[in-house]
Amino acid sequence: MPVVDGVELPETPLLDELEKGPWPSFVKEIKKTAIEQEKAMKAGKKIKLPGAAKGLLKVLELAYKDKRTHWKHGGIVSVIGYGGGVIGRYCDLEDQIPEVWHFHTIRINMPAGWFYTTKALRTICDVWEKWGSGLTNFHGSTGDIILLGTRTEYLQPCANALAYADQLYGGVPFDIGGSGSDLRTPSACMGPALCEFACYDTLKACYEFTMRYQNELHRPMWPYKFKIKCSGCPNDCVAAKARSDFAIIGTWKDEIQIDQEAVREYAKVIDIEEHVVKKCPTKAISWDGKELKINNRECIRCMHCINVLPKALKPGKERGATILIGGKAPFVDGAIIGWVAVPFIPENELIEKCCEMLEAIWEWWDEEGKFRERVGELIWRKGMDEFLKVINQKADVRMVYAPRNNPFIFWRELNE
Amino acid sequence: MTEEINKEELKQKILEHLAKKPWQVRDLAKVLRVKKKELDKIVQELIAEGKAAYWSSGSTTYVTTKEKLEEMEKKRSGT
Amino acid sequence: MVAQEVEKEPEETLQPKTDFGPPHYEIMLHPVVKKNYGKWAYHEAVRPGVIKRVAESGDVIYTVRFGTPRLLSIYTVREICEIADKYCDGYLRFTSRHNVEFILTDPDKIEPLIKEVQEKLGFPCGGTRDTTNAKYCLSNIIHTQGWVHCHTPATDASGIVKSVMDELYDYFTDYKLPAQCRISLACCANMCGAVHASDISIVGVHRKVPKIDDDAVRRTCEIPSTVAACPTGALKPDMKRKTVVLDKDKCMYCGNCYTMCPGMPIFDPDNDGVAILVAGKVSDARYPPQLSKVVVPWIGNNPPRWPEVVQTIKKILETWATHAEKYERIAEWVHRIGWERFFELTGLEFTEKLIDDYKRTPYIYASYRTSAAFRW
Ligand code: HEM
Ligand code: HEM
Ligand code: HEM
Ligand code: HEM
Ligand code: SF4
Ligand code: SF4
Ligand code: SF4
Ligand code: SF4
Repeated sequence: MPVVDGVELPETPLLDELEKGPWPSFVKEIKKTAIEQEKAMKAGKKIKLPGAAKGLLKVLELAYKDKRTHWKHGGIVSVIGYGGGVIGRYCDLEDQIPEVWHFHTIRINMPAGWFYTTKALRTICDVWEKWGSGLTNFHGSTGDIILLGTRTEYLQPCANALAYADQLYGGVPFDIGGSGSDLRTPSACMGPALCEFACYDTLKACYEFTMRYQNELHRPMWPYKFKIKCSGCPNDCVAAKARSDFAIIGTWKDEIQIDQEAVREYAKVIDIEEHVVKKCPTKAISWDGKELKINNRECIRCMHCINVLPKALKPGKERGATILIGGKAPFVDGAIIGWVAVPFIPENELIEKCCEMLEAIWEWWDEEGKFRERVGELIWRKGMDEFLKVINQKADVRMVYAPRNNPFIFWRELNE
Repeated sequence: MTEEINKEELKQKILEHLAKKPWQVRDLAKVLRVKKKELDKIVQELIAEGKAAYWSSGSTTYVTTKEKLEEMEKKRSGT
Repeated sequence: MVAQEVEKEPEETLQPKTDFGPPHYEIMLHPVVKKNYGKWAYHEAVRPGVIKRVAESGDVIYTVRFGTPRLLSIYTVREICEIADKYCDGYLRFTSRHNVEFILTDPDKIEPLIKEVQEKLGFPCGGTRDTTNAKYCLSNIIHTQGWVHCHTPATDASGIVKSVMDELYDYFTDYKLPAQCRISLACCANMCGAVHASDISIVGVHRKVPKIDDDAVRRTCEIPSTVAACPTGALKPDMKRKTVVLDKDKCMYCGNCYTMCPGMPIFDPDNDGVAILVAGKVSDARYPPQLSKVVVPWIGNNPPRWPEVVQTIKKILETWATHAEKYERIAEWVHRIGWERFFELTGLEFTEKLIDDYKRTPYIYASYRTSAAFRW
């Protein structure tokens, strides 16, 4: 058995292959945890699950050998008052590797935009050193901080440790995130905190939704999951269009703001014709070597020119957001990229309008949705016309690439 | 008054169903012929009272009784 | 002595507290970020990994990005904190693609920071773009749990990501691409990572129906809920034998039944593997968002380093990078050259498995060609 810093590690010839190479190694992370946690315990720290990381090394080595997972599903969600945020997990080798027989994860609601102080991060570390495996994911794909692996009896104490972190650890309290048929933890791009393209305050919107819908986030009662993601502009850095049922994409209506002097500066280093004019999808731009002109009636606000010339071009001043509905992964009826539900909501009305719409959508979906039917699939089944009634919107040609190509229209109002 | 009694009866009925298998609230609402919203509330109460509990597949959530949950988890954990 | 009552920790006796929500983002913002919130003027790429952001007030912030393995030890997180305290007054952020970004005000600290992170943590600096000059780094691969934590994976996540990124390391640390390229991985078709709109995606696929162990089904399963969990109606109860029967023609190998019932494992070492998809995108720039398309139906699992998967990804990436025009993402490139050329140039084989026949999807025929206008 290899011994590092006085700590014995299991033999893991296959995993050791993944310590090689320049990219940072997750195997090293697991080994480091095994070593440091044991050292910390020997130094007198309170640690409930010493050996969990070691156990994970053993299970994972076997998975690599057998080319299959060794985890079984558990359905436990035993944090008092909540119905989500914990993913139950058991190992199918409990007699061989009892250290990870229970290996549940806890999802922690991250701060909007994934901004942290080191004090906040250390809180997570201190709590998870004591009550869990010491292994984390920064972050899970929905955006939560993932605490990877603890036992059933430590779930509640761990949640309490995080909730009372200010008193118990001198840290920053954290709440648990969503899982199951609930509102999943909303997420946002860094927006106005660092990015000049942001057409609305993504962090504020994300925080507002999270706080207003704590009940929906923690107590799953819907047909399936529901995700909200906020991107400040059509670049969509959180992939909201593809990854959320309700995507809020910042945009603008008026003219792109141009600083001609700055364009001329750029022209000294790049070929404006090649990099900008030719790449505009609507051929809305012209450049005569002195002045850049944009035909804003043709511009579809795709962001390309602004991305290339950030010093010279800015989104317009009449800002707001487009709402896209229905984005989801392929399971079951095929993948969906969200489509336009509302072409434009002005920035100052955005949060309230979204809340009105969200509540109406949830009520409808909760009533009509089948088990495991995402909102997008329900709209496929019921039709856009019904959905538009639910959200109280008129049809807009901006909702489609083209009108329908068949005349089989359901004239419901004539055939009541 | 009568409403209270009905509610207690309903709670009893719900628990009987939940003891058989984990349920989606919507399906249970259909079986018991109650509005889903009402059932949501009552189920929340049962959960708060510690009689019912959530069970999650990771992607979807079910409700069952506390005992049933413990029994299921025992089976899954493999001993 | 009588058995002593085990002393309870304070965490075990406290009244649970609920619904208080995440910490407010404002307390997490660097003072300069907070001061200039919503008032940023422009940004500039300084070098791969480093972006300079200038506010209307003239204040400047540098963000320095490093790739992480996503699976982090708390001891590594503490080291990250020490470095952030030393260089960034204790403020940092993570990105949507598992990278960590340090937030600096002093440009002289950038090089020492990069050096210290590389020495202490081994994290590479990079993953950004210089859009003005059409020079792009590859960003990190977003991915899911795999054999580290999930019960339905058809492949591992972290191991493939590590192997692919080892091979493509220079693409992360340097501007070597003509346009943005997002790679993602999901370890089963549930696609927790929602990888269906990425330039290149790797998706774990099962190819065989679950193996029903009647005895284990009897011992561990709730038959009605197992049957109900199947999205395609492939399962029926067999009341007599107290088990379930499966219609092989309906099963889509999703593993949902295994979630409900440990008695019907979906994994199969010889038949599990990954599919490779390309040409998805989410941003609106130039070309509308697109779903990814399957171009390799299956490659078997070959741990610990999946050489066949790594080489296929590399081949696709490099073929595209060689042939694409500036700013042209894979979707746009294929749109220009046609799928005929894509398969020709990459050397991948087009087979009947790549023609959509998943009839549940309403848009299935949208991918069928209706013209006789071909490239030869
Ligand atoms: C029927 C479909 C699905 C099932 C049964 C399912 C089940 C699961 C399970 C069991 C886990 C826990 C993995 C672990 O930690 O062991 C998980 C994690 C997760 N799922 Fe899903 N999932 C489904 C679809 C999706 C979809 C479509 C998305 C996103 C659009 C998603 C997002 C996530 C995220 C973000 C995680 C956190 C794990 C990570 O980041 O690696 N899931 N899912
Ligand atoms: C001020 C300019 C921008 C800033 C500050 C910004 C910031 C970011 C950041 C921090 C991320 C996470 C990146 C990572 O970890 O790799 C990201 C992701 C992304 N950005 Fe941007 N970005 C900017 C411009 C753009 C542009 C010009 C595009 C497209 C042309 C774009 C499209 C995306 C996409 C598609 C993602 C990835 C979403 C995903 O697949 O998860 N962004 N952006
Ligand atoms: C920049 C401007 C353009 C945009 C944004 C655009 C967009 C699109 C989109 C979204 C599709 C559907 C592709 C798919 O389903 O994968 C498409 C298909 C197509 N476009 Fe374009 N297009 C543009 C210019 C052109 C031009 C100038 C031509 C002709 C020279 C052209 C020829 C085609 C053809 C032939 C198809 C069908 C391709 C196929 O089915 O393989 N496009 N275009
Ligand atoms: C370089 C840019 C583009 C060129 C040169 C171009 C050219 C054309 C042409 C020549 C037609 C046929 C018009 C007709 O039938 O009279 C057309 C139709 C169309 N274009 Fe474009 N287009 C461009 C960009 C786009 C973009 C960016 C989109 C949407 C994203 C788009 C969507 C369409 C649609 C939906 C049609 C109708 C197709 C049909 O006939 O059913 N085009 N385009
Ligand atoms: S989505 Fe737009 S506003 Fe948000 S960070 Fe990306 S580029 Fe900036
Ligand atoms: S935003 Fe896009 S469509 Fe509008 S002018 Fe710029 S490149 Fe053209
Ligand atoms: S993608 Fe599939 S296997 Fe991977 S974590 Fe999600 S549910 Fe599990
Ligand atoms: S794997 Fe999926 S489709 Fe197949 S029987 Fe199980 S639940 Fe049904």
